Amino acid sequence: MSRLKFSFLLFLILLWGSESTAEEEKEANEEFTEALLLRPLPDRKVLAHFHFQSSAPPTQTYGRHHYIFPKSIYQLVHKFHIREMELSFTQGRWNYERWGGFDPISSSNAKPPGVELWADFDVPQNQVDDSWKNLTHALSGLFCASINFLEHSTSYSATQWSFQSSSSGKLRYGTLPREAVCTENLTPWLKLLPCRDKAGLSSLMDRPSIYRGYYHSQRLHLKSDEFDTSKISSSGIVLEQTLTVVLQPNTFSGKKLQPSWSLSSLFGRKVTGKCSLSNSSNVYVQFQQNLVSEENESREKSEAQKNEILIHEGSHNNPLFALSHPPKRVIKEVENFQKEGSILYEYSVEDYDEYGPFELGLRWKVPVIWSCQQAPLHASRFLLGSGNERGAIAISMKSTRSNDIEIAGLDDEKACSLRVGIFQVVPWYVKVYYHTLEVFLDGESQATMDNIEKIHVSPSEDKVSPGVMEIVLRLPCSVKTAALTLEFDKGFLHIDEYPPDANQGFDIPSAVVHFADFVANMSFEDNLSKEIPILSKLQEKIPVRSYTEVLLVPLTTPDFSMPYNVITMTCTIFALYFGSLLNALRRRRGEEERLLKGKGAEKGPLSLLLSRLSAKLRGKQWEPPKPSSSSSKKSSVNYKLVAKVVLVAGIAIVWQFYYQ
Amino acid sequence: MDAANTPIPPAMAEISEAPSTSAAEIQKAEAEFDSETMRKTKPGLKRFALTLTVLLSFLSGLPFLWKSVEIYRSPLPFREIDDLSAAVELNPLQFPCRFEVVFVDFGRTSSTANELSVSIESHMRKLAEKDSPSCGACNYNSTVSVALESASDCFRTDGDFNWKCGALNGLMNKYEASREDGGELFDDYLKSLLNDNGSSSNGGKVYTVIVVRREEEKHVSAVVGKYRHAWIIGNISKEEAVKKVAEVFVNTFVNGGKEEGSIGGEFMPVGSDGRIVLSFNLLNANPNDWTYDWEFQEIDDNILSPIVEALKPLADIRVESQVLYHTPKSSFSYWDDKLESYIYTTKDLPFFVNSNEWHLDTSVAAGGRSKILHFVVYVPSAEECPLLLQLPNGEISKTNGFISPMWGSVAVWNPSACFKDLKMDTRARHKIPREDLTKTFEIFIGQLRQLFGLNSKNHFADASGTLRLLTSERGFSEWELDFLSRQHTCFNLLQCTTTLGSLSRLVQSLPRMIIKDEIGKQVKYSLEAAKLAVSNVSYGMYDASAVFSRHARSFAEDAFYHPSMMSVSYYSFEHCFAVYSPFFLPVSLHVVLAAVREWKRYKLESRKYNTWKAKKM
Repeated sequence: MSRLKFSFLLFLILLWGSESTAEEEKEANEEFTEALLLRPLPDRKVLAHFHFQSSAPPTQTYGRHHYIFPKSIYQLVHKFHIREMELSFTQGRWNYERWGGFDPISSSNAKPPGVELWADFDVPQNQVDDSWKNLTHALSGLFCASINFLEHSTSYSATQWSFQSSSSGKLRYGTLPREAVCTENLTPWLKLLPCRDKAGLSSLMDRPSIYRGYYHSQRLHLKSDEFDTSKISSSGIVLEQTLTVVLQPNTFSGKKLQPSWSLSSLFGRKVTGKCSLSNSSNVYVQFQQNLVSEENESREKSEAQKNEILIHEGSHNNPLFALSHPPKRVIKEVENFQKEGSILYEYSVEDYDEYGPFELGLRWKVPVIWSCQQAPLHASRFLLGSGNERGAIAISMKSTRSNDIEIAGLDDEKACSLRVGIFQVVPWYVKVYYHTLEVFLDGESQATMDNIEKIHVSPSEDKVSPGVMEIVLRLPCSVKTAALTLEFDKGFLHIDEYPPDANQGFDIPSAVVHFADFVANMSFEDNLSKEIPILSKLQEKIPVRSYTEVLLVPLTTPDFSMPYNVITMTCTIFALYFGSLLNALRRRRGEEERLLKGKGAEKGPLSLLLSRLSAKLRGKQWEPPKPSSSSSKKSSVNYKLVAKVVLVAGIAIVWQFYYQ
Repeated sequence: MDAANTPIPPAMAEISEAPSTSAAEIQKAEAEFDSETMRKTKPGLKRFALTLTVLLSFLSGLPFLWKSVEIYRSPLPFREIDDLSAAVELNPLQFPCRFEVVFVDFGRTSSTANELSVSIESHMRKLAEKDSPSCGACNYNSTVSVALESASDCFRTDGDFNWKCGALNGLMNKYEASREDGGELFDDYLKSLLNDNGSSSNGGKVYTVIVVRREEEKHVSAVVGKYRHAWIIGNISKEEAVKKVAEVFVNTFVNGGKEEGSIGGEFMPVGSDGRIVLSFNLLNANPNDWTYDWEFQEIDDNILSPIVEALKPLADIRVESQVLYHTPKSSFSYWDDKLESYIYTTKDLPFFVNSNEWHLDTSVAAGGRSKILHFVVYVPSAEECPLLLQLPNGEISKTNGFISPMWGSVAVWNPSACFKDLKMDTRARHKIPREDLTKTFEIFIGQLRQLFGLNSKNHFADASGTLRLLTSERGFSEWELDFLSRQHTCFNLLQCTTTLGSLSRLVQSLPRMIIKDEIGKQVKYSLEAAKLAVSNVSYGMYDASAVFSRHARSFAEDAFYHPSMMSVSYYSFEHCFAVYSPFFLPVSLHVVLAAVREWKRYKLESRKYNTWKAKKM
C-alpha cells in the first residue's frame, strides 16, 4: 500500500515535472501578436493604433534559427549589442490639447516630426559612439531613410535621465526633424512582420488612406537582454512595432454629430482574417473615461425615464452609440477614486475569412462632446527676438488644471510640487548661453536655482557637438503658467555646411517634457489581459511624456555666389593698382613730354576723330592734319594688329585643343 | 641730348624706331648729332632692373602657387601594375603537380617504367592540348613517376616515389571486401597505403592512379576516390591502361571532372572580401494553407558545418536561415492529369523567383561585398500542390530544383498533405520531416557544387567509358578542393590585375582626382600579396597561394571602391582658372609687357649710345 502511495506520489511529481517543462518549452518560443486599437477622438477624428509584437527567446537556449522573428533585426541586435532601441518616423504633430496627453498611447506614441532614434548599447564606453555610427548606417539602409545623417557627432547626444530612469551613459539620442516620411519607409517596416501586409490586421494599411491622415507615426521599439550576463534567465529580444494614425472619417453627417465610421470607411479595406502566424489578433475599440462618464449620466437619465435595466455587458448598444457587432469581451479599466475608467471592447478577427471579412462600424446616436485627459502642463516652445544676430528660446507650460495633480502631489498642500523634466538639444550653430536661463512662474521671474531640482548641461562645441540641457524643475502645484527662457546667438556656418535650400531656416529639434511623478497607465481587472501584449503595454507604468514643436530658426545665409564675386572684385582692384603702380614706376616724364611735343602733329585715327568732334562742338571749321606719307605706315600698323589678333586666336585654339 | 633742337621729320622718327637702321642713315647721322639715333649718355638700367625684378619675383612665386593649388595624389606604382597584369595575362598560372602511376600484375613486359612514363606524358599533353590552356591548370612538364609491380619484382622510375613495393599483398583482399560498400573501405586503405600527406617535397600535390590487371574480371572499373587517388581494376591491356590513366589525370584530377556546359571558373561565387554567406530560406507560399518550419539548427550542425570547414581555404563561409511567409512564385504552372500534379517547365524558371515578394536580402551582409548565395526551399500552396519540374525531354526532374549561377538555387518541396488530399490543421506549425529535409539539403549540396562549377553526379561520363566518383561526406573530395583552390587562386589573381589595371587607367585619366595615401597603401599591399601568391604557386603551396590571392583581390577591390574615389575633386582646373585669372591675367600682362618694353627700349637706347660712341671716334 505504501509502495502504491509512493509510486503515485512519484507519478504526481513526474507529471508535475513534465508539465513544468512543457510550460517552459511553451515559454521559450517565438511569438507574434497583432492588435489594432481604435479610439474616437473629441474633434471628430479617429485614432487607429496598430500594435505588432514579435519576440525571440534568448540565443543561448533557443539557437540562431528563427521562424517568425525577423533575421535582419536579430542580426542588428547581435552586431551592435543593442540593449534597447527606439526608432520612429512621424509626419504631422500630435495635438496634445485635443487628442489627449495623459494616456499610454500619447505618452509613448506621440513622437516629434521626422525621425527620432535613441539606442542603448551594451558595449564598453569607448565603443558606444562607433556602435552608434554603424547602427545609423545600418538602419538607414534597412529603412530607406537618411538616418545616416545622425552619424555626425553634431547631430546626436548622450542623455542622462530623460529616456531611462537609470543612466548607463551608453544611450545616444538623435533626431532628424526634416526627414520626410512616406511609403518607402513603411514597406521595409512591414517586411519585418511575418505576414507583411498580405494578411491580418496590417492588410488594412492602405497607403493612400493612412498617409491622408492628420498624424502618422511609425515606431519600432527593441528590447533585448541577450548580453546581460548578470541575469540568469533572459527573456531574449522583444520587437514592438506600432503604427499610430489619426484619421478623419469621411461622412456626410451633420456638423454637430460625431461622424459614424466603419473600418472600410476609415481604411478603404476590410480585415480578411488574422495573420496565420499570430497568437492573437484582436481589434479594440476604446472609449475614453470622460466619454464613459457622460455615457453613464445619459444612461442614468434613460434609466430614470424608461426604467430600463441595461446590463453592463450589453453596452455596445447604448444610448450614445451603437457598435455593429457585439464584442467578444468588454474590458473595463479599474476606476480610480476620482476618475471613471475607460472601456475597451475586444473583437477577435480569428473567425473571419475572405468570404466573410471583419467589418466593424460605430454609429453615434446623439451628439456628444467630451474632452481628453490632459497632461498636467501643456508645453509649447517658441522663439523670442528678431533679427539675424540673436534671439531667445522660450518654453512655456500652461497648467491644464488636470484633476490628477492632487493625486501625484503629497497630501500636504504646501509641500505639493510638480516635477517637470525637460530635455533640449540645440545644434551648435545656435549658441545658447545657459547662464541666461530664467524661470518665470505665473509671469514673475524667479530665482533660477530655487525651482531646479537637478540640471545637467553640456554646452555645444563648434562643429563637434550640440548643446544639451537636461533639467528637472520642481514647481508648486498651484502654478498656472511656467516659462523658461534661454538666450542665444546665431552662429555662422562655413559655406560648405549649409544644406540645400538654406534660406528655409534651421530646425531645432523638439524638446522632450516629461512628468516623472505621473504615470500614464491603465489597469484592468482581469489577469487575462496581461497575456495580450497590447493590453500589458497599456498597463505598463511609463511616465507622461510630451514633445514640443520643432523650432525654425532663420540663420544668416550668404549669397552663395558671393565668394566668387568677392574674388573677382578684389582681384580686379588689385590688378588695377598693381598695373598703375608698375607703370608709374617706369615712367619717364621728361622724355614723354618731349615725345609729345615732337609727335604733336601726328595723330591716330581715334584722336583724329576726337579733334574733329571737338572742332565741330566748338563750331570751328575742322582742319585735317597735313597729309603725310603715312599710308604705308598705316598698312604696317594694320598688319601688326592683324598679326596680334591671329596670335591671340592661335593661342586660344591651341588652348582649346590641349584641354579637351 | 638737349642740344638736339632741329625739327625732326616724322618719317625719320618712324624709321629710327625700326630695329634695322640702314647704312644711308648712319652716313647721314655721321654728319651731325641726331638725337633720334644717338645719345651721349649710357642708357640707365634702373627701370629695366625694376621691371625685371618684379617679373622674376612673380616667376619665383609661381611654384608656390602651383603647390598651393595642387591636389594630393598618392603615387601609385603604375609600372608594377602593368608588369603584373602583363605577367598574369601572358602566361596563365600553372601549378606544379605530381602524377604517380602504379601498374600491378602486368607481368614482365618489354617496356620499362621509364617508357611507360613517357607514353603517359605524351598522352596527357595530347589531351591537354585539346582544350585551351585554362587558368589554374597543372603544369604538365613534370614527369610522371611509374612503378611496375608484379608478384615477384618491382620496378620504379627514379625520383621520390613513395610507393612501398610489396605492399600489395593485402590489396586485393581489401578490394573484394569493399565491393559491398562501393569502394569506400578500399579508398581508405589506399590512403593509408600511399601515406600521402598531400604534397611532395618539390611542391605541388601528388595524384596517384593504381592500375591492377585482373584477368578474371570482365569489366574494367575505374573509380576516383575521395582523396587524391584513383584505381582502375580489370582486364585491361597496357595501351588502354596508359590512355585511361592519362585521361583520369587530365580530365579529373586537373580539370575537376567538369562536364560540358557547367559553370566556368570565372563565376566562382566568392565575394570580393573573400566571404560567402549561405542564406537558407524556407518559403511558405501561403501560410493559410499550411505553415512549415524546419530543424535548421540540426541541419547546420550535421550537414553544413563539415562543408563550411572543408571550404575554409577557399572562402570564409557563414550560414544564415530564415522562414518567410506569403511568398508565391511568380511563374505559372499547369495541371497535368497524367502526372496528377502541377507542372512547371524549364521555360518558366526565369520567372520562378518572385523578387517582389521574396525579400531574401535581409542579411546584414547584404550591404557589404560578401557574396550571398540564396538557397530557397519552396513550399507550394494548396492550389499548386504537388508542384513538379518538367525537364525539356519530358521527364520529371528528380531534384525538383534549379540553380541560378551567382545567385543561388531553389528546391521545391511538396508537403505530404497535398498528396493525401487531407485537411490539415492550418493553425498548427508543422515541421518538415527529417528524411525530406536531409534529402533537400543533399540537393542543395549538389547545387552548391554546381555553383562552384563541379560535377553534381557521382559518375563522370567520358569518351572511353564512365568513371565512378566516390563522394565525400564533406560534400567536396580532396582532389576537387585542390582543383577549386587552383581555380580560385587563378581567378582571384586575374580579378586583382583587372581591378588594379582599371584603377590605374582611371587614375591616369583623371588628373584632378584626389588619391589618398590609404589607396596607395592598399594598392601596394595588393601588389605584394599578388606577388606572394604567384611565388607560392610556383612552389606548389595551394592553400597559401589561395589565401594570398584572396588578399590581393580584396585589397585591390578596397582600393577601387574606396569612398574617396567616388568623390572626384570638384576643385577642377576650370575652377582654379576662374578663381585665379581675375588677378593673374591682368597683372601678368602688365608685368610681362613692362619687362618686354623696357628690354626693347634698353636695347634701342644702348644702340643709340653705341652709334654716338662710334661717331665720336
